Amino acid sequence: MRPKLGLGRIAYLSVNGAILFFLLSPIAIVSVFAVNPTPYISFPPVGFTLAWFAKFFANPDFINALWLSLKVAAAVLVLSMLIGATAALALARGNLPGARLATALFMSPLMLPAILTGLALFQIYLLAGIGRPIWGLVMGHTVVAVPYVIRTTLAVLHNFDRRLEEAAAALGANPVRVFLEVTLPLIRPGVIAGGIFAFIVSFDQFPVSLFLVVPKGETLPVVLFNYMKFDLDGAIAAASMVSIALALTVVILLEWIIGLRAYLKL
Amino acid sequence: MATDVAEQVTAAPAGTRQRARQATAVSWLIWPALLLFTFFFTLPLGVLGVMSFLSGNPVNAPAVHVTLRHFERFFSDALYLDALWATLRIGVVTTLAALLLGYPLAHLMARAHSRVGHALLMMAVIAPMLTGIVVRTFAWMTLLQDRGVINTTLIALGVTEKPLKLMYNEFGTIVALTHIYVPFMVLTLAGVIGRVDERLEEAARSLGATRWQAFREVTLPLSLPGILAGSLLVFALSISAYVTPFLMGGTDVLTLPMLIYQQVSSSFNPNFAGALGVILLAVSLAVVIAYNKVLAGLSGEEGLS
Repeated sequence: MRPKLGLGRIAYLSVNGAILFFLLSPIAIVSVFAVNPTPYISFPPVGFTLAWFAKFFANPDFINALWLSLKVAAAVLVLSMLIGATAALALARGNLPGARLATALFMSPLMLPAILTGLALFQIYLLAGIGRPIWGLVMGHTVVAVPYVIRTTLAVLHNFDRRLEEAAAALGANPVRVFLEVTLPLIRPGVIAGGIFAFIVSFDQFPVSLFLVVPKGETLPVVLFNYMKFDLDGAIAAASMVSIALALTVVILLEWIIGLRAYLKL
Repeated sequence: MATDVAEQVTAAPAGTRQRARQATAVSWLIWPALLLFTFFFTLPLGVLGVMSFLSGNPVNAPAVHVTLRHFERFFSDALYLDALWATLRIGVVTTLAALLLGYPLAHLMARAHSRVGHALLMMAVIAPMLTGIVVRTFAWMTLLQDRGVINTTLIALGVTEKPLKLMYNEFGTIVALTHIYVPFMVLTLAGVIGRVDERLEEAARSLGATRWQAFREVTLPLSLPGILAGSLLVFALSISAYVTPFLMGGTDVLTLPMLIYQQVSSSFNPNFAGALGVILLAVSLAVVIAYNKVLAGLSGEEGLS
């Protein structure tokens, strides 16, 4: 039944149009400032330049931070997919006595202010005397990223037909083969969707990173933040465009390389 | 048919036993996550709690003793209490604004019949999330500052002569935070609204309800769990925000996360930072519990009437 275009419907659609405008226009504005040649942020734009992109790529602080962010996010992607998928399997298919409690624990980083996770890790690293190594940062990001993988994988596990596994077993496949050839392909879309979330969460992670990075070894969001405290020019806009483009590329690549194949098999 | 059943009956115990054995084997897969959470989540948070009751760092100061002085310091200083109050105020207003903006969009998304329409809306919601918190705060700074897009436009149009004070205050902070967290609200709500059967609304309308009545009496109450989940998520995120209050709030806004980082980075007082963390944690837990109770009460009434 297609709704008629009455007065109420028009109001409904225009409210939603306004909300979409609110959501998207700030991002469009950033792309305008990335190519606007004035030395400070000013509106309306007066021309076109790529100088801000040149400034971004010529600045070693930005480039090093970008590399570090990408490396950390890649490590978090792999770790959280492994840890999240195994945990989801155990929670959905195991016979753990405290499964509900464990699920609540694994989901709690989503509800708990992330700045507390950062502070708590900072303190325990300080007490343990291990300083602030990169692996410590990776583990911090993984803790806040894993819930996404567990959640998406659990959703897939709850939806799929267990009789498929039973049928494979009845036809003579051993448990390992059932897992590799039936269970794994079926949960793959969930694990990948969660992994993409985990990558974005890490790439954009601020509150945990703030406490765990060292000077000259900061991730891109922290470097951008420190730069913005003093300067508000087109270099930030250019950096924004670069990081948006990178995040999008990774999401599309992941979807293309692993995702599409998984969907084709379904 | 009869032999089938007989076969199943005899096969069942062996199958069940095998299944139980497999379930036990699968249970071992919990360990990586359990270890990760023990060492990088539960234990650190426990230590954070303990630190907040200690007079110093127990590793390099052997004369450390248990004390309440960090909490006394917090509750006896108006500056800290104001920061707590500001954090809560920003959290609540941001949550309400995100709910107000997120619900219509989530509804549109859940009720989009064409696949293309749904995909486009999804992209419109995901795109801001991909943009990152620091970048989106930058976007709002360029919009709201004195020489920003909005003030320049208003002055050019002759609406105002002097630029309006749109940022370096709580207003700007809340606007930017709302923009940052609306997508989380939309994604949480869209799933729940999508599961509310549209035919229920149609049934209400065929019984004479207007579209608005049908929405208010059917879909809205049934989407309460989504409202609860989305609001809690946005509240937890916004009381934990650091970048946006720092850059958009200027000297006008001081929140708990800003105080916490100050204690760690410039005052080098991890114990007081721990106490601030415990207070932030207590506040978020209290709000979660209170909110749960209120909504449980609300849905109980709905069920009765």
